[in-house]
Amino acid sequence: MHKIIHDYYSRKKAHPATLAFFRITFGGLMFLSTLRFWSKGWIETLYVLPEYHFKYFGFEWVTDLGNFTYLLFLLGLISSFFVMIGYKYRLSVITFFLVFTYIELIDKTTYLNHYYLTSCLAFIMCFLPAASYFSVDAFISGKRATAIPVWNVDAIKIFICLVYFFAGIAKINSDWLLEAQPLSLWLKSKYDLPWIGQTLMQSKVTHYLASWFGMIYDVCIPFFLLFSRTKYIAYFFVIIFHILTKIFFPSIGMFPYIMITSAVIFFDSRIHIKILNYLQSLIEKIGLFFVSKSLEINLKPKTIAPNKFIFTLLCCFLFFQLLFPLRYLLYPGELFWNEQGYRFSWRVMLMEKRGDITFKIKDSVANTYFYVKNEDFLTPFQEKQMSFQPDFILEYAHYLGKHFNDKGHQNTQIFVDSFVALNGRPSQRFIDPNFDLLKAQESFSNKDWILPLNDEIKGL
Amino acid sequence: MRKIKLRPVLLIALIFIQCSIDDVSNEFVEEINVGKSEEVSVLTNTDSKDTSQTSFNHQAMLMNWADNIIIPSLSGFESSLIELKTKASEYTSYPNAETLSVLRAVWLDSYLKWQHVEMFDIGTAEEIYFKNRINLFPANIDRIESNIANQEYDLDQSSNFTSQGFNSLDYLLFGLGENDNAINDKYASENSNYSKYLIEVIDKMIALTSEIKEGWNEEFRNSFINSTENTSTSSVNMVLNDFIFYFEKGFRANKVGIPSGVFSDLPLPDRVEAYYSKKHSRLLALEANKAIRNFFNGKYYEDNEQVGLSVRDYLDYLESDEETKLSDKINNQLDSIDSKLNSLNPDFTQQIIQDNLAMLYAFDVIQANVVLLKVDMLQKLNINVDYADADGD
Repeated sequence: MHKIIHDYYSRKKAHPATLAFFRITFGGLMFLSTLRFWSKGWIETLYVLPEYHFKYFGFEWVTDLGNFTYLLFLLGLISSFFVMIGYKYRLSVITFFLVFTYIELIDKTTYLNHYYLTSCLAFIMCFLPAASYFSVDAFISGKRATAIPVWNVDAIKIFICLVYFFAGIAKINSDWLLEAQPLSLWLKSKYDLPWIGQTLMQSKVTHYLASWFGMIYDVCIPFFLLFSRTKYIAYFFVIIFHILTKIFFPSIGMFPYIMITSAVIFFDSRIHIKILNYLQSLIEKIGLFFVSKSLEINLKPKTIAPNKFIFTLLCCFLFFQLLFPLRYLLYPGELFWNEQGYRFSWRVMLMEKRGDITFKIKDSVANTYFYVKNEDFLTPFQEKQMSFQPDFILEYAHYLGKHFNDKGHQNTQIFVDSFVALNGRPSQRFIDPNFDLLKAQESFSNKDWILPLNDEIKGL
Repeated sequence: MRKIKLRPVLLIALIFIQCSIDDVSNEFVEEINVGKSEEVSVLTNTDSKDTSQTSFNHQAMLMNWADNIIIPSLSGFESSLIELKTKASEYTSYPNAETLSVLRAVWLDSYLKWQHVEMFDIGTAEEIYFKNRINLFPANIDRIESNIANQEYDLDQSSNFTSQGFNSLDYLLFGLGENDNAINDKYASENSNYSKYLIEVIDKMIALTSEIKEGWNEEFRNSFINSTENTSTSSVNMVLNDFIFYFEKGFRANKVGIPSGVFSDLPLPDRVEAYYSKKHSRLLALEANKAIRNFFNGKYYEDNEQVGLSVRDYLDYLESDEETKLSDKINNQLDSIDSKLNSLNPDFTQQIIQDNLAMLYAFDVIQANVVLLKVDMLQKLNINVDYADADGD
């Protein structure tokens, strides 16, 4: 066993072109994503304008930088571009990881699985020799790698497989498979799609087929991508699947493109070499690299020695990724309802949940109360996200408590009148209306002031 | 090897094709429906309870909204305002007990008709802040008095939004003096500034309403009924967002919540609609609830016996395989609101002073329907509330 691991660690090699190709597409996509985010004006609407930001537990110290938030994004743009071309790679990718993650930590309202995916991939890339080939760094140093330890590539492959696999088993539940929910709700509302909108999208059969196809796809695709015999046909399905999600759910943003390009890493390295050679010929044609011809010939071969620290660290990270999505098992109650352990677990497009919540500020001595107008404190987007997520509700209650205490209110208690609907079920009361939320503090322990869902969702 | 792998793909493709063939006939019927005009919506409605429908005609619903509800209610409101102007002129010429009571009656009639218009805050109405200029309350009586005294004012300024519209008329017709004689005296003198202000406020309401009606010209109406898609800017989404916003703010908060002190430390009994009339606040709220129910159920404005495709039909279509219908729950809740309001004092001010708890209960009954509309209904329709632009996953 030890020998196998040691062989794997030090002997097995991969061609560096694979990682170089991944670096170029990842950096390029991140550059475009950041540009897109900026051009849509979201820096302002999501980070600068809101008076209040919802914080991740333990990261309350991360704040928006006002108008300097734009500088963060500029830094993200520059560093992702440098990652793409492989210039001062290590510094660039670490910068990108820190900047991107910091931005995500400013406000959990904007949490998306694919932002978390981006942070994770950037984190892994901080430790990989991804600029040892076909990069400005390699050109400047005059050396380029001929082979790298295979686990550098495998780290990303395994991580992507985990993402798919967890996304898949999350769909093995009675709502998804037996009720075709929430796809039934979502697809019916796509009546405006040409041709299929008023026909296929309205048919129950389609909803079931799509649900089952989605689940089977997510669970199986990692294995099919890993085996050389099936990987190309599997990639064909990757394209079909993600294009379909983009058509049905345009608001899904860059996610499909990230997955489609990331999955190319599973290809045979000869294909990566071919693509990079083609890219090089393009560059030569444009004459961008003034010495591009010498690029091929003059670079001296370099060996990338395996690094024990990095190897161990990546193993730990992947092990963590294997366990972390399962933390929901430690909590009682329905995961979809309580959302304890829901985020950071690759539960993508998994449920339809909405809520309406009113906060009641009560003076426990005078026995008077009044309701809060949420729009006085939150943006519509924040209010929407807050209305059905317990940790948001608790955090907002404490924010309101502080606000009104600062204004001179006394004996403040905060109660909520909240209703939530899940996957097409009728709305039901969500939070115990007799529980003073100021009595609870955010922690990893179970939130027993959430009323249980009047139904059972069976499954993993 | 590859051929075997492709087999499931072909199978799925075959099933898809099969399904679409089944639905082609329906689609054909659909296109014919769209081609025709109003009669279609009536026809479609007769079988709206038919659960076997395989698609919903969004355009027929939009046509019903535009042609049978929105535009007729605007016309009805406009003619009531013209009548109001006539009676106001008669009154200012001969201010006495009789002309005053006639004027108050047409004012109320027009105010009731307004309850059917306020929720459609789209197009020109939204651009010119129509609802804020017709029905913002409480009226700013200091401002009204100073406008009348100084004779220097511009009703188009936003600072004057609370010194025009129905609640200013309410003050001018009910609140100017201790009794009717005292009120009549204000208008008695020749070239009375009160008379002038009264007429100008009504003229402004007519001008604004005509502008809105003009905004609903053929071109706008056609683009409205053709905007059938499900996007943040499509007609269905905008009207329903406005509808829910109206229900939550214009109806729930303004008419009941704010005066009963739900959003403040103490009750604010002077914040009711038509405060100076001292008797119409309940009637106006009941009429608003009726307008809400009419819209939800697609009832024609001019003839409540006639119905066209509505939100209710849309919900029933989406819930065709459900036992208990959300639309029934909503209608039941609207009934509860109706009976709850009916149990209150005709003058909400009195109700709040004497027994505010009953008023707060009424608020709760209305709030329960906010949840049904905003959470349950929008989930079924998959429409975003207060559209927030950001990615999702």
